[in-house]
Parts: sequence; C-alpha cells; structure tokens
Amino acid sequence: MSDPSAGTSPAGGAPVRFEHVTKRYEVREKGPGAVNDLTLDIPAGKICVLVGPSGCGKTTSLKMVNRLIEPTSGRILIDGHDISRQDPIALRRGIGYVIQQTGLFPHQNVGDNVAVVPRLLGWDVKRRRERTDELLTLVGLDPARYRNRYPSQLSGGERQRVGVARALAADPPVMLMDEPFGAVDPIVRERLQNEFLRLQEQLAKTILFVTHDIDEAIKMGDLVAVMERGGVLAQFGSPDDILASPASDFVARFVGADRGLKRLSLTRVREVQLIRAVTARPGDSAAEARGRIQADPFPYLLLVDESDRPIGWLDQDEVPATGRLDEQMAIPMSPLLDRRTTLKDALSMMLEADVQAGIVVDRAGRAQGILTVEAIATALRNGGAPEHPLPSGTAHA
Amino acid sequence: MREGDPLIRWDWLADHIDDIWMLALEHIWLTALAVSIGFAIAFCLSLVIARERRAYPPITAVTGVLYTIPSLALFAILVPFTGLSVLTAEIALVSYTLLILVRNIVAGLDGVPSEVREAADGMGYTPWRRLWSVELPLALPVIIAGLRIATVTTIGLVTVSALIGQGGLGRFIEDGLQRFFPTMYITGAVLSVILAVVADGLFVALLRIATPWSRARAGSG
Repeated sequence: MSDPSAGTSPAGGAPVRFEHVTKRYEVREKGPGAVNDLTLDIPAGKICVLVGPSGCGKTTSLKMVNRLIEPTSGRILIDGHDISRQDPIALRRGIGYVIQQTGLFPHQNVGDNVAVVPRLLGWDVKRRRERTDELLTLVGLDPARYRNRYPSQLSGGERQRVGVARALAADPPVMLMDEPFGAVDPIVRERLQNEFLRLQEQLAKTILFVTHDIDEAIKMGDLVAVMERGGVLAQFGSPDDILASPASDFVARFVGADRGLKRLSLTRVREVQLIRAVTARPGDSAAEARGRIQADPFPYLLLVDESDRPIGWLDQDEVPATGRLDEQMAIPMSPLLDRRTTLKDALSMMLEADVQAGIVVDRAGRAQGILTVEAIATALRNGGAPEHPLPSGTAHA
Repeated sequence: MREGDPLIRWDWLADHIDDIWMLALEHIWLTALAVSIGFAIAFCLSLVIARERRAYPPITAVTGVLYTIPSLALFAILVPFTGLSVLTAEIALVSYTLLILVRNIVAGLDGVPSEVREAADGMGYTPWRRLWSVELPLALPVIIAGLRIATVTTIGLVTVSALIGQGGLGRFIEDGLQRFFPTMYITGAVLSVILAVVADGLFVALLRIATPWSRARAGSG
C-alpha cells in the first residue's frame, strides 16, 4: 500500500533529538509556557511522554517539533536533520499530529478528515480512498459505516480514533500527540490507551506524547520526561526509573506518595522470582508428601490434578502421616494468576481472597509457581522491572 | 385619490405590468450590485483584520459612522459630486452594508474553533488554503446571516433612492404618494416586502445547501 514515490516514508520511526532547546517569552507576551535548555534523545520507535503541571512547557516543546513554535535557541533534529532548515509546511505534512478535542474538521466527513494530509500531498482519489479505508479499519472503525459521517455524529471515543487515523494517514515516522485521550471518560480512555499501545507495537512510530496525568505517562511511555514550571527538565528515564528513584523532591511529589503502588502496575508476574510449589496428586502417598513439604520453607502443599491444574492447599501440619492424599483434604482458594498479570492486579486479587499467595498458571492452567505478598515486596525493593533499555537525556536543574 | 375609487385599481395594475416588472428588476439589480460590492469590500477589510487585529477598531469606527449617516442626508451630500445617478445611490447603499458584513465575516472567522485552526496548521495547511478550505466554510453560517441582514436592509434603502431618481419599486411609492394614488404606492411597498422575504428565503436555502454538515445530527447510529 505505501508507495515510496509519493514521498511517504515506510512504516517505522525516526529518532528525535532536542539539543539545548530554549524558548523564552517576553515578559508581557503571553505564551503557553517557556522551555529552558531542554536536551532529550528519543530513539526511533519509542513513545516519549512529556509530563508536568500546567505551564511547564510540555506543549511548547511538542509544538517546536513541527515548528508551530520556533525555539529561541537550540535545535531539534529528526532523523539527524535539523528541522529549522526544512520548509515548515513540508515538515508538518510529514509529522502526525493529534490534539485534544481532536481538531477534526466539523465540515468534512470522516473519510475526508482522514485524507487531509494525503490531499495536501496531492494523492489521487483512488489512493486516498484506499488509504482511508485501511486506516479506519486499523483504528477499529468499519469504513462502510463511518466514512460518510460527520464528526458531530460520532462519540468522543470514535472522534479520538478518527484523530489517530488522520495523524497516521501519510505514514509519518514521527507523531506528536497532545493530550490525545484527554477529552473522553476514564473507561473509554483506558480502552483507547490499550488499543493505541497495541497499534504502536506494529507501527513502531517515534511518538512524543504530552499529558498532565502521571498515570497516563507511566502507562504510555517507554520514556518519561518530567518537566517542572519554567520549562526545566526534572527527570528523564523509563517509567520505572522515575517511580523507583525520583531525581528530586519535585519529581517525588509529582509522581505522588503512592509511587510504590504505581510501580506495581508496571511490573508483571513473569518478572518476579516465583517460589517453586511442592505439589502432590490425590492418591499419592501422604507420608512421602509430608516428608517433602516439611523439608520446604513454604508451609503449604499444593494439590494438583492429573494435568497439573491446582486443586487446593494442604497445611503441612495437616498432611496425614499415613494413607493416601485425598482431594477432600484440600482448601480450595488462592487466586490464579497469569504470567502477564501486573503485580498491582495480583496483589489486589490476593487481598480480595484474603490470602498471602497466588498460584501462577500457564495458558493450559498448569501450576507454574507461587507468588507471595512477600515476593512482591522484595521485587519492589530490588527495583522490580528488569530492563531499563534507554539511555541519556540530561536533567538540567 | 378620488372619492369612491377602490384602494387597488386592478385595471391599472394590468395596464402597467411591464413597468412593474422593469422596476422590480431594477430594484433587484440595485440591491445585488450594492450587496456584491459591499461584500467584496467587507471581505477584503476582514482579511486585513484577520491578519492585523489592530485594524479592527478603526475599521468598525469608520463603517459605523457611515452606517449612522441618515440615507437622505448622504444622498444630499453626494448629489453635488455624482449627480442623480446610479453611482450616487450605490455609494450610499454600499456604505450601509459594510458595518454589518465586516462584523459578521470577522465574527464568523473568530468562531472557528481554535483547535481546528491549530490542527490545520499542524498538518501543513498554508495560510491561504486554511482560510479557503477550513475557516471560510466554517464561518459560512455567520457570514450568510450577515448577508441576509445586509440584503434585506438594502432592499428597504433602495426605495429611498427614488428621491434621486433611482429607487426601483421605490419610484412607485414616491410617485404614488405624490399623486395620492394608493394602488401605486401599495404596489411598490408590497412588492418591496415580497422581494425582501424572497431574498431572505434564498439565503436560508443557500445556507442549507452549502453546509450539509450542520444538518447531520448526532446519534444516527
């Protein structure tokens, strides 16, 4: 579908680099927020979230990338090229742009809205039509149903999807998103965020994403740049870095007193050291099982069925000394956890069931190990999520 | 009007159908010319204002003063220079449309949501293209509202220009009053009103055709 002759880059992202970018406003000039010596390195294909209170210059920083605002000093490079040497109109046509309230054109139907940039680029009708249908399908809207509707006939969530489709139309390597999910209710926002993250897995665009919501920043960002008033970069790193070791009091306050809890939602069960369960099957020798469980630090025997699916627990002191194990002896409890469950959800399930441990199972439901509340606490102490893939970005303060 | 004459003499109307027709066309012509020229000037002034906001107060001040000059007085001022001509009539008529049209065009452009404008800039619209294909279409309802008022007002004022020998249907009113001949002035007055109503209706229809999106209602599926 993408035809290189029309000047669109193939899918995928381009690195974006801010080099000592400063934007000052005259005292009397009313500007959206100054930026002070911002240096950021955003690798290709990553989502970098700019987050901070209002007036911290996050939106200003974003708009300097498509030159809606020109920096006072410093430069911005996309794919190694200084954008100040490019024609701003051509530059903008090559960058996806999604804003709050979406900025859809009320007088154009969905199809025309999505085809805005292709039209500016002079694509022919057939190609625009194909691309529009492809994009609407991509964002989960049936082209036949939605193509001819006007924005006023869409729900908030549908509008945001069209906004994303429109930004993707010319397959830009870089996308700028300014509070793109700000105007919808929390449930729809959550769904749009998840869908967008899934989409990004295939698209691998380089995305600058502005929000004032630290939870959204942590969820969406591969990298998070926390900015404070006056346009100063307070910290730049992975979400886990920022939660685990805030660089300043400001960052600590901004991420919130519950940052420990927030980290739980970043870490998944598979990233934590699980305890190997001592297991036995109904009909096994009780004496033998008793021996094994009493030699193990974890005081409960896990009874599993023929296919290793958990049946229930047996306290080590209640395992009979003789005879055979019986299904009736087991206490059926404990939540079953998937390896992809976040620690936050896992902990919540354990609290709800009023137990200290959950059983981790694989897709077939076979017991893989045990996750305890204690293990979660240890994981947080040790820095939780293992990978910190991304370097650089200087904190100026 | 002689004793016993009916208010409307239908035989007179039948005899003068060609005159009626001609004066009605003249009336339409004078109105269309004034509103077109007025719109062209107002549009240029509005673009100046859109570029340079500081031009707005002086422009509204000047057009506002023009608007407040009584029409009769304006004709009197102009006649020594431009005579009893169409030009005299049009200068006055155009002057009166400017304030309404400038205000509505500017208000229409101002009413374009800022996020729509920002989205257009951010996606790489040139300023002219943004104006033509985004801002003007969205400003259309307010601009057409201005055109409706300007047109209806102008149709009324054209009748006054009968005093300087123009006037379209106003000539019937003028002559009819002087001759105490109700058939004539009632014909002039009624037809002027009908013209105004029809013109207004045409603009409403034009707006409907030109803005299909405003008819699209939410929740259709």
